[in-house]
Amino acid sequence: MTAAIRANLPVFAVIAPLFVAFVLPTFARRTRLVEGLVIFVQAVGLWGTAYLARLVLAQGGLPIIYEVGGWSAPWGIELVVGNLGAFFLLVVAGVSLPVAIYASGNLAKEVEGARRRAWFYVLYLLLGGALAGMSITNDLFNVFVLVEVATLSCCGLVSASQEPSGAEAAFNYLILATLGSGMILGGIGFLYIVTGHLNMGFAARALATVWQDYPHVVWMAISFFMVGFGVKAAFFPLHIWLPDAHSVAPSPASAVLSGLAVKGYIICLMKVLFHVVGPELMQVFSLNRLLVLLGMVAILIGSILALGQDELKRRLAFSTVAQIGYIFLGMGLLNVKGMTGALFHIASHGIIKSALFLAAGAVITQTGKERVSELAGVGKKMPITMGVFTIASLGLVGIPLFSGFVGKWYMLLGSLGAGDYLAAAVIVAGSVLCAGYLFPVIRVAYFEPAPADDWQEPGVRQRLALILLAMGIFVLGTIPGPLLELALAAATDFLVFN
Amino acid sequence: MMKDFVLKRIVIVLLPFIQMYGLYVIFHGHVSPGGSFAGGMILGLGFVAFATVFGLDRGRQMLPEKVTTLTESYGTLWYGIMGMIGIFKGFPFLANKLAGIDVGVPGTLTSGGLISWIGLGVGIRVASTITTLFFTMMEEKP
Amino acid sequence: MRILLSKLLINYPYMASVVLFIIGASTVLTRSNLFKKLIGINIMESAIFLMFIAAGNTRGGAVPILDQANPGASYINPIPSALMLTGIVVSVSVTAFALALIVRLYDSYGTTNARRIAEMRNGVADR
Repeated sequence: MTAAIRANLPVFAVIAPLFVAFVLPTFARRTRLVEGLVIFVQAVGLWGTAYLARLVLAQGGLPIIYEVGGWSAPWGIELVVGNLGAFFLLVVAGVSLPVAIYASGNLAKEVEGARRRAWFYVLYLLLGGALAGMSITNDLFNVFVLVEVATLSCCGLVSASQEPSGAEAAFNYLILATLGSGMILGGIGFLYIVTGHLNMGFAARALATVWQDYPHVVWMAISFFMVGFGVKAAFFPLHIWLPDAHSVAPSPASAVLSGLAVKGYIICLMKVLFHVVGPELMQVFSLNRLLVLLGMVAILIGSILALGQDELKRRLAFSTVAQIGYIFLGMGLLNVKGMTGALFHIASHGIIKSALFLAAGAVITQTGKERVSELAGVGKKMPITMGVFTIASLGLVGIPLFSGFVGKWYMLLGSLGAGDYLAAAVIVAGSVLCAGYLFPVIRVAYFEPAPADDWQEPGVRQRLALILLAMGIFVLGTIPGPLLELALAAATDFLVFN
Repeated sequence: MMKDFVLKRIVIVLLPFIQMYGLYVIFHGHVSPGGSFAGGMILGLGFVAFATVFGLDRGRQMLPEKVTTLTESYGTLWYGIMGMIGIFKGFPFLANKLAGIDVGVPGTLTSGGLISWIGLGVGIRVASTITTLFFTMMEEKP
Repeated sequence: MRILLSKLLINYPYMASVVLFIIGASTVLTRSNLFKKLIGINIMESAIFLMFIAAGNTRGGAVPILDQANPGASYINPIPSALMLTGIVVSVSVTAFALALIVRLYDSYGTTNARRIAEMRNGVADR
């Protein structure tokens, strides 16, 4: 029996959260059971993905290929747990477990009613399953379906707060994201028309031989993919929905939306661009220049806009725009170092931004203050929460020993290796700006006199989740070990394949 | 709620046939056009027609919210259980003929093997989703 | 020029889908009525469905149901049609969700105009 489970782990990573999510509404009123089940599923998921990652590392990067229904590649759907798949599965499972623990403690204060909370967990698990699927699927149409599941559950999570502005942000997000999925579907259509395959490997092989016959169609397909995934991943000029959506959602939702959901679309875009289109073709269409250029603009504009926000969660949301810029910049450098940096930044930003949003959420629910200028003295009243916030800020700025440093260091090396000194300068300037919008929060919280209000630390579960994430930031910064190894191998797969 | 006598009789007479047709489309998904989504839609629209003609309260009596929640959840779970048959027999998820399920003569009802049974779960899910959507939209107070 | 025109005429389903896509996308981006935005999304998605299904079509092809007694000369490619069924399901759920959100917005703001809603929300935030 255990052997059967082990052999089917790739498919369980996707379907276990989905099916548990579908059963949750039947006992929606029993909150304890729902929470326990969600945390249990996430914990088992973390164990399973760690096992898969160890297996992939032990095989030296040879992918585990799972054929659903026993149908082999061009006919059936493949799940491929390669370096990239194992890496992102690990990130998804590693971030969603602490967030689920935090949500079980804090959600009662942010979402009213047991049924609404149960539906929140349903959407949360659906999002987790869809992200796991995105990281390991090898089929273009499957990508579309999973992207759509993730988008709908993201919109649901955004609208979970009762405030009317939540519904408005969710609607705007839904409209733009659906525009994006239409574009993605169009891109898949163009690729299917040209290559006749939906499997990524087969499509890539066909595309390498036929693209010269239909350069315009391929160009259309790539631009559709860029715009489609760009809208969903909040790539710079298309980020307008993000600050509203991520700042009104309940804080656990903001954490997964900013930390994971956006990254899932980037992983899909990476798969399409590097596994199907290929680096050579990207250079032909000078896509790499575009990615680096827009990435630089995103870093600068996102950071500058974040500087001007007084609302804490909005400031963090704009910071996400800037950090997405880093990832795209690393992608566009087209060398192994830059790619590794981008992938590792996906992991470290996932953990850091979740920690920041959860800490901000804890501060907001405990004190009721949403603006940075009102947070005077929070650091003394809530030492653990603000301590985690400080660690996460240091990590995001890129101080050595914290996880943000590793990714940024690799991207810096990559940009110097590519001879792009402007990009290197922007990476450093982005870090300085990042310090500029995060350190004032810490200064206000610690060095300004506290009011007489009686503010308490959040409950045990929230503190546990925050400490877990802070430890994650530390561990990834000091001994990045296996995760960095996986990222490096995935980057090599991307750039040196066929 | 509509007061028209003819309409009420016609819906009462047609309802069993609509539902039979829905099940027919679900089970013949692999040999003819249609399938679990289309069939489930027909199945659900039968209830919607009933509720439109006889009023929302009668409709809710026939199909209480508890029932639709259960069918929605377990319709999908049914899909998972059917998929697990393959795993229990030592084959991948959703294995059909591989897992030793009888797939009869091509072109006949049994030739789908697992597909019809999976389709049943999906169809029930679709039908209950459609009715839930209908009731949610109609019960919304202006 | 004549070759180009005849190519365009032969591929009329693609031309129709391009026109529909542009109509849909511009409706989404320029109209401020929430319902019109939603309708624009639906038009845009149908354009993509049309493109996919046109790509699966072969002229004079038979319905892809295997009839062993008298097999047809050529069949239509069933994969795009099957995929688009999934696409339609997705678009139905998006539409239902968006309608539910519009109902909630109308309840709390009393209007379905995106611009007025944004103005009202900003006014509330400033006060």
